[in-house]
Amino acid sequence: MVGMLQSRALSLSALLLSLALVGSASAQAVTSGPARFPVTEATLDNGLRVLIQEDPRNPIVAVQIFYRVGSRNELPGATGLAHFLEHMMFKGTPTHGRGEISRLIELNGGRDNAFTTKDMTGYHVSIAADRLDLVLGLEADRMRNLLLAPAEIDSERKVVMEERRTRIDDDPEGVVYEAMSSIAFLAHPYRWPIIGWMSDIARINPGELRAFYDTYYRPNNAILVIAGDVKAPAALAQVRRHFGPIPRGATPAPVTALEPDQSDERRVIVRKEAAQLPVVNIAWHVPNFRSEDAPALELLSTLLSEGRASRLYRHLVYDKRMALGAGGEYSYSSLDPTLFWFFATLLPGQSPESVEQALLAEVEQLKKEPVPAEELTRARNQIEASFVWEQDSVFTRASVLGRFEMLGSWRMLDDFLPKVRAVTAADLQRVAQRYFPLDRKNVSILLPAEPATAAAR
Amino acid sequence: MSRLARLGGALLLTATMAGSTQAAAPLARREVLPNGAVLLVAERPSLPIVVIRVSLPAGAVRDPADGLGLANLTADLLTRGTARRSGPELDQAIEFVGGSLEADAGRDSAIVTLSVLKKDLALGLDLLAEVLRQPTFPADEMARKIADIQASLRRAEQSPETVAARTLGPLIFPGHPYGQPTAGTVESVGKLTREQVVAFHRLHYRPDGANIVAVGDVTEPEIRRALLQRLAGWTAPSAALPPVPAPAATVTASNRQITRDLSQTTVLLGRPSIRQDDPDYFPLAVATYVLGGGSASRLYTRVREERGLAYSVYAGAQPGRYGASYLVSLQTRTDAVAEAVKLVREEMARMGREPMAPGELELAKSYLIGSFPLRLDTSGKLARFLGAVEESGLGLDYPERYKERIGRVTVEEAQRVAAKYLDPATFSSVMVGK
Repeated sequence: MVGMLQSRALSLSALLLSLALVGSASAQAVTSGPARFPVTEATLDNGLRVLIQEDPRNPIVAVQIFYRVGSRNELPGATGLAHFLEHMMFKGTPTHGRGEISRLIELNGGRDNAFTTKDMTGYHVSIAADRLDLVLGLEADRMRNLLLAPAEIDSERKVVMEERRTRIDDDPEGVVYEAMSSIAFLAHPYRWPIIGWMSDIARINPGELRAFYDTYYRPNNAILVIAGDVKAPAALAQVRRHFGPIPRGATPAPVTALEPDQSDERRVIVRKEAAQLPVVNIAWHVPNFRSEDAPALELLSTLLSEGRASRLYRHLVYDKRMALGAGGEYSYSSLDPTLFWFFATLLPGQSPESVEQALLAEVEQLKKEPVPAEELTRARNQIEASFVWEQDSVFTRASVLGRFEMLGSWRMLDDFLPKVRAVTAADLQRVAQRYFPLDRKNVSILLPAEPATAAAR
Repeated sequence: MSRLARLGGALLLTATMAGSTQAAAPLARREVLPNGAVLLVAERPSLPIVVIRVSLPAGAVRDPADGLGLANLTADLLTRGTARRSGPELDQAIEFVGGSLEADAGRDSAIVTLSVLKKDLALGLDLLAEVLRQPTFPADEMARKIADIQASLRRAEQSPETVAARTLGPLIFPGHPYGQPTAGTVESVGKLTREQVVAFHRLHYRPDGANIVAVGDVTEPEIRRALLQRLAGWTAPSAALPPVPAPAATVTASNRQITRDLSQTTVLLGRPSIRQDDPDYFPLAVATYVLGGGSASRLYTRVREERGLAYSVYAGAQPGRYGASYLVSLQTRTDAVAEAVKLVREEMARMGREPMAPGELELAKSYLIGSFPLRLDTSGKLARFLGAVEESGLGLDYPERYKERIGRVTVEEAQRVAAKYLDPATFSSVMVGK
């Protein structure tokens, strides 16, 4: 799924971050569990939120800065601004010319990259821990001093257009993902793709990029997370020195768009000559983390998708031999309510109609019968174990802290596992009944292009 | 595995220790078990997790000419049934404790990886041993898996990068298994028989030539005892492991065009290259970084930053156990292909024609040496690195030697090897697009 866009092709797995909602650095680690990775938090006078997590196991540090701006902050006619601007963040300031920030990081043995989601834009550096000061200086510089030179914008525009061709236009599954969002959302900006429409990418002008930058790239609109082999007091002092002088900006206007309740069924069929295997997606509008039902939806997605014993794999892939892969995906930490996706990639010879019916039968089954205890416990155990595993990586821990801080507070991580543990089979049944009405679904289907002979008949 | 992922794997070995002044602690303890398997243990007690990675001389390089995909199918079937449990029972047992047990064949080796919380290690090792020693290859599971592999192969046709890589393989390694697709073809996989799978397993899943890496919350005596207990009776078969021939060091370059109705053209250039045991490998690693390794590289700068011709452009060596390839890749809009390819070939030629700037040399060395700890910062990454070093016979001191060798590379040496290994005239090319 096109959940996020990375700035460079040679990059860490996008999946890592898009699935990061089952995060690390859990409440367990901070409160009751091992006290070895405590979090120090601070808010500078200019509004910059700072989280620092000490972890001396490896001599490295992950430095990640998250801006509260993504494609949801864009308007029709100027879609893709957030992602375009992310690319421009590597194109220079008066102090550090084009490419210089990445070059300095590599010169110091570090790696950097960036990503844009519907909700936020993030920049991350992993580097030897004693180079923290360098990274903070670079991030502070580009928070406010971007050049945004028109010639560089025009050059990078072409790069973004190439990126769109790779990710979406030439990838049949990218096209069908884009199509689903565009039918499921009528009023909310989740309607358009993160990378933006090609015509907008081609048109966006320097003034719009500058205005977007000035609105959102402010200390009071950012979260800085540092995780690794550092001492929190010293690191915080460095943060203050580099970011402290940056003035606070106006508070960006909130996103006010609300998606109306869906009262109809919507379908889209995408035909692509390059498509080899049909894909069937069924999606419903569901609430996000703010809802009491979110932990049940999260558990449901794990139970449906995680591993070969998961329900959709077991039924559609293993038993019925209809699909090569199948699952159910939920975005717990989406800033605004989004979709719960059921999806299947068909095995050759299977009809999209029968696979759609099979997916719907699974949904009906969830409504009719409580999930057996073994399945519920397995899903819970999988989520709990993933919390432990994700603590192994400072990169993942930093990104999960940032993600939860974005939702309100990293301390919300404290509640996540207890809430998941409290979910019952009856809860799962209830949320399935409440959120998956058969007559108000969104369906997107990818089909290979009709053979020419069939069209001529 | 995607080409980018494989490139990442290759880069893993081009890494070394940071901080030239500090003495490197040994990455792991190594010993040879009585049955010939090598055991490598890295104790990381800070989190209650354990990764066990078992590598076997059972990769696609050992596919018979009339049985492409046999190694991949055999590895895929390991977890689909044992003498004690059916495939679904295995899935349920490991997933119930939030763990995973996966088997995959790559080009050189088959890898079985167990990831499990410490408290469930005994269960995990039981399952791992069963899967290694007592797979039953049930006929119904085999039919399922063959259909899945065939469908995956078809689906991969959607990816122009995969199509390009499949086409380029035999141009770089003509007549050698490295040129063949790891998972086989739709046709070849359809003809594989259970007898072939059973025989392949019997001959190749053997302790001599295997390595077992354990990383995480375990001690060396503890894991050694636990493994010996479960792997008792695992001995080498009398039949010797068949040798793998080395691929040709040079081949005549040729070009292919695959027509697809796409908005971009994928360009992939490649030729045979050298392994880490060749002294030229180190200057080539430096030259590679300067050419197309990072965001300050010449290809990135000229093709992407200055001309906006590509989102993705890179160059890199892919050393394997028996040979190596070198790939240069980019994707660009159809009407820009000629310009982009001209730029790329010009930059490749310039590497051998002119000495690199001292600043370029410094950047490459600093990055290659300094970024090493980032490659070992999780248990999974460390396990993969240790396994790869052992498989390639590089020795646990490889990081130190690498650092030392990279540190000694001169501008002249880099230019010399670039002229030898990066000459664009020696690269075959594949283009996928309109």
